Amino acid sequence: MSFLELEDVQTYYGESHVLQGVTLDVEEQEIVALIGRNGVGKTTTLRSILQLTPPREGTIRYKGEEIGGKDTHEVSNDGIGWVPEERRMFGYLTVEENIRVAVKPDDDFEAQREYVYSLFPALDEFSEKEARNLSGGQQQMLAIARGMVGQNELLLVDEPSEGLAPMIVDQVVDALETASEDTTMVLVEQNFPLAMELADRFYLIDHGTVVESGSTEGVTADDERIRRYLSA
Amino acid sequence: MPIELATEVPLVIETLERLFQPSTIARIIVEGLGKAAVYFVLAVGLTLVFGLMGVLNFTHGAMAMLGAYIGGLVMVLSVSDGTDALVRIALFMVVLAVVFALLTGFGSAFEYSLIRPIYDRTPMYQILLTFGVALILEEVTRIVVLSQGIQPEPPWSGAMGTAPAVFTERYDILGAPIRGLYAFEIVLGIVAVVGVWLFLNRTLYGLYIRAGSEDPEMVEALGIDVRQAFTIVFGLGTGLAGIGGVLLMWDPLWGPSALLAIDVLLYAFVVVIIGGLGSFKGTVVAAILVGIADSFTTWLFATGIVTFTGLPELTIFGLLVIMLIIRPQGLYGVEEVGGH
Repeated sequence: MSFLELEDVQTYYGESHVLQGVTLDVEEQEIVALIGRNGVGKTTTLRSILQLTPPREGTIRYKGEEIGGKDTHEVSNDGIGWVPEERRMFGYLTVEENIRVAVKPDDDFEAQREYVYSLFPALDEFSEKEARNLSGGQQQMLAIARGMVGQNELLLVDEPSEGLAPMIVDQVVDALETASEDTTMVLVEQNFPLAMELADRFYLIDHGTVVESGSTEGVTADDERIRRYLSA
Repeated sequence: MPIELATEVPLVIETLERLFQPSTIARIIVEGLGKAAVYFVLAVGLTLVFGLMGVLNFTHGAMAMLGAYIGGLVMVLSVSDGTDALVRIALFMVVLAVVFALLTGFGSAFEYSLIRPIYDRTPMYQILLTFGVALILEEVTRIVVLSQGIQPEPPWSGAMGTAPAVFTERYDILGAPIRGLYAFEIVLGIVAVVGVWLFLNRTLYGLYIRAGSEDPEMVEALGIDVRQAFTIVFGLGTGLAGIGGVLLMWDPLWGPSALLAIDVLLYAFVVVIIGGLGSFKGTVVAAILVGIADSFTTWLFATGIVTFTGLPELTIFGLLVIMLIIRPQGLYGVEEVGGH
């Protein structure tokens, strides 16, 4: 039994058949990268796991339990965190309030806050600042921190390096590596070298289905099986 | 017709002289703040519901109408000529709590049973549904009150007559005769502003609501049951509309009537749009602006300077039009709010 298992997941947006039978599995403490061109279904795979866009067919098991059909907040409360594309901060809330929203009501907020501030000291410095006034890199830190609180054991991370300067990307990589010490991670990332650097294994998605998979060890963008699907 | 400067200029000068007298300023400010307090209570529920849920709730005025009638009913049944002023005020406070509880429950049930099934449809469905329910509530109210021998319009004088003398009498403030009710409304308005602010800013649920106003899907993905929050907020918004209706019950310019269903809705929308849809701060500021504008134009009419009876309404809706032209998102609104 894997930590997370997707089996023949079929997801639609209206009549548009986006995921056409995605099957993959993730082991505990692994980082698994989903790679592929724009619009092939990577983000939809994450949204399907969270039941934000519930699949019409197929099964999704998390720690052995079928989570298909649950509400998103129930899936989240099972321990699945989300670091969405474009970060989606609550811009008019402070950094601390953004973290407060993510901490489960029964959890110790003080302890959770200290935990994320110890991982990301820069956030402590800006704790009273509204999130919309943070830089892109700071917002990404906050998005990762927000995904990590709430006792999450699985983190779904979508395009963490998008729109960030190279120097800031290095900080984000450090943050993700820190996060991965405590959580299992599914990473969607357009930056191929970055995805290979961070992940243990990869799944290459094309037209809503997995076309290649394997260890990231030694894989480069020049690899023929990768180049065929990633080139425009 | 040519303007006769010989008569117009002295009139303007005289008006300005009267306007800047302390008694006039005191009257406009106190009455304006009294009106602002009521407008705030009437509008804040509407803005909370739109901010979190993106639902334009056209039943809001009808809920205020129900609040005014329920409040009036309880007061008429409980109060006699000999009832002391303090007892009347205490009863009024009980009525506020009862109406708030009743309408919060009613609003929650309404959201759960009728609005929730159509969230996935276009906003037009929510507008048509709430507008239709508002019409039904208004007509049913007309039938019920008529069956009890009460005319649905003009306002129910029996209920208005339960106000204690301390609120109907006028008191001298800086030489201006000001009705006691306005001071009471100001106090209740301050309590309402502080109460709603504390709820939004000092409670966990308030934090969820503020976050949900920006991105309800993200809030749901963080483990919060947003649908449940929708039900609670819609209920609270309806309860606040009911409280607003109770405040109107004793107001000599309003009073319980079937007309409240539309009139209140219009005023609430004006305040919400001027302040910015979904903005608490905007609602407070806009309520004060509209209240003062209303008070000023009422003074112009009352003193005979202007004889056009519709001046207060014209001014308030003029403010709305100006705001829509120069700043469509309102004073404190963002360009896109609402979850749907």
